[in-house]
Amino acid sequence: MQVTCQQGELHRALAHVSRAVARKSTLPVLSNVLLSAQEGQLRLAATNLEIAIAASLPARVAEAGQLTVRADLLTEFISSLPSDEVTLRIEPGSLTLAVSCSYSKANIKGIPAEDFPTLPEIGEQTPTARIESGLLREMIGQVAFAAATDDSRPVLAGVLVEFQGSTLTMAAADGFRLSVRSAELDEPVAEDLSIIVPARALQELARSMADAEGTIDLLVTPTRSQLLARSGPVEFLSRLIDGHFPEFRQIIPKTYNTRVVVSREAFLAAARRAKIFAQSNNEVVRLQLLPGDSELDPGAVIVSAQAAEAGDNEDLLSARVEGPKAQIAFNGRYLSDVLSVMKSAEVALEMTSPNAAGVFRPVGDTTFTHVIMPMVIGNI
Amino acid sequence: MDAQRAVLHADLDAFFAAAEVRRRPELAGKPLIVGGRPGGRGVVSSASYEARRYGIRSGMPIRQAERLCPQAVFLPVDFAYYRELAAQFRAILSDLSSLVEHLSIDEACLELGPAPRWPEEPAAAGRRLRQRVRAELGLSVTVGIATNRTVAKVAADLAKPDGLRLIPPGQEATFLAPLPVDYLPGIGPNAARRLRELGVRTLGQLAQIPPYWLRVVFGRRAEEVHQRAQGIDPRPVTPEERAPKSIGHERTFHRDLSERSEIRQALRELSEKTAREMRLEGLQGQVVSVKVRFDDFTTLGRQRRLARPTIDGREIAEAAVGLAFELLDEWRRPVRLLGVRVSGLAPLAVQLALFDPRPLRALLLLRALDRLAARRDAAGASSRRPGTALGYPVGPARLLVSALERR
Repeated sequence: MQVTCQQGELHRALAHVSRAVARKSTLPVLSNVLLSAQEGQLRLAATNLEIAIAASLPARVAEAGQLTVRADLLTEFISSLPSDEVTLRIEPGSLTLAVSCSYSKANIKGIPAEDFPTLPEIGEQTPTARIESGLLREMIGQVAFAAATDDSRPVLAGVLVEFQGSTLTMAAADGFRLSVRSAELDEPVAEDLSIIVPARALQELARSMADAEGTIDLLVTPTRSQLLARSGPVEFLSRLIDGHFPEFRQIIPKTYNTRVVVSREAFLAAARRAKIFAQSNNEVVRLQLLPGDSELDPGAVIVSAQAAEAGDNEDLLSARVEGPKAQIAFNGRYLSDVLSVMKSAEVALEMTSPNAAGVFRPVGDTTFTHVIMPMVIGNI
Repeated sequence: MDAQRAVLHADLDAFFAAAEVRRRPELAGKPLIVGGRPGGRGVVSSASYEARRYGIRSGMPIRQAERLCPQAVFLPVDFAYYRELAAQFRAILSDLSSLVEHLSIDEACLELGPAPRWPEEPAAAGRRLRQRVRAELGLSVTVGIATNRTVAKVAADLAKPDGLRLIPPGQEATFLAPLPVDYLPGIGPNAARRLRELGVRTLGQLAQIPPYWLRVVFGRRAEEVHQRAQGIDPRPVTPEERAPKSIGHERTFHRDLSERSEIRQALRELSEKTAREMRLEGLQGQVVSVKVRFDDFTTLGRQRRLARPTIDGREIAEAAVGLAFELLDEWRRPVRLLGVRVSGLAPLAVQLALFDPRPLRALLLLRALDRLAARRDAAGASSRRPGTALGYPVGPARLLVSALERR
């Protein structure tokens, strides 16, 4: 193999794929990056068997070929080089990658490409769906955080991704809260389908495509065992979680007794303040919803926390409260998590009782719904 | 020199017995013993001053008290009622000072003002407190006032019952000097005996001898005890947290228990009682400890931290039974007393789950049981059936318990 490319482009591509390199693996080849030179481009790929990332860059290929080398060594060496042309060469029959750039050179020992897992590519296949990259990142940001971080119920560590006609819906629930976001696709899917993608993988997808513009192609492999995403020169692959996601639509309360509409920013600031005291009391943040008595006084929300030994705090927010006076307590982290991913200026909270789920919705936007189960405390 | 502190020590007189007389005035003037049932194996919790004349003291086995004073009136302990009175007592104390340290249900010390005018102001505060407790609670309280906690406590002990004693600044050592050594808090019967062996009988003598002599009796505390005997005690009054540190119950049995099934049942009852009290206080707890006293009076304890905080008597019982059986496996003796205690207390906070209704269901059932139990308690002792010292399983509550067990 012999290939020449720009140091800057090679470094950027390495940074992309490095996120998929296995941190600790018993398989040495998973700590490596696969280099493949063919037809005017150099392709890099890495995988930890959970996800895989590949990136291509333009290159002058004098001789095609493949090899895997340690990702950390190659990345560190390439990043140290001046912004100039880099030549990568492997002598026939050798397993050593010779890197040269300007007056520097290095020899990096490798592992044969045949030992590297085979990674499916979108290639010429028709994608399952196509979505605007900014929208995909926003959806992931609003949903993936609500997935479970432990694997006690594997499906809950995933995000349900549902393609239904021209609607794409994502949902995640860690057992205590549920986040649901939907969006319209430009074109309907050929066949309705739903998959469960590990939440960590989706967050990695959003990160690897953080600077992507335009659309992203999504493809669910025919065996429904992998999700592929492609944006320009970057391709992403994730394994899928097998299993049934809970019927999340059934657990979203349809009715409420008390509904409050409040400024999202003010609510978020109050929730963050309350967390300071809540941390010494099981994270309990208490909300009191107080209806007003006239048009002029629409009502208020009191956000408070108290810890027997540390102290207490309270924020009074003016709000529009419909329905009877009510109170409810939530884990302060759940509260600040949802308020910080919402985009609208105002947020609505709907509740029926201190023992039942609270529903958070952006005002004037039906594409996002978040449900949090309350905490039952002694004095409610 | 700085302005002298004024510390007031307040102690309700024969509290449980006085509380019983308060609601049953016909008992006034009679020897009254609260705690356990006659013929039983409990101990005296509180005795009226009339009973004390017969030599009856708190902590004495009921049987011994019966022998000393067969004509005494024996009453069971009614903690709920005493707690209610104690709360009112605390409210009165908190009007007097913001620095109140509660030493027990019926005893507290408090710091009066930043620079009280001795002796008028402290004396007036003491008189006011005694008047209010009499007028509002119908109880008598003894007050000791001095420049520190130790001297105020000893003054109150000497003024009992229904008295007030004030030791002016500068007279602390003179006041303590003639008193026997065991009048000083912190000197128990053992230390007193060893001091006698050294020829030390009064606090005055104790204050005279060099502190290093006292090391053999008090170890590291020697210096401190020596200071206290001279009437010096710089400890501040520290208001404690409102929340209790632990909640528990114990029981001495009519006859020693050897059967595992009986021991398990007793621990379940104690656990349920403890859990119910925790829920009443709005608390959850995470550390379960058991106390086992064998027939030879060997008393041992064990504790275990649960994976999650609980308010459920069954979870407490499960841990308690496991711990007690470990001790029984080692000791293989009949059991005289069992105790269950839960610590690691924090305000109740149960996170409900989206797909699992069990935490909420369990909570609602426990609350329903608590309401039933409260109603039954309100109906009075007459409806209490024998053999159901355990808070619940009577009538409809039994159905709820079995529903709970099926969850």
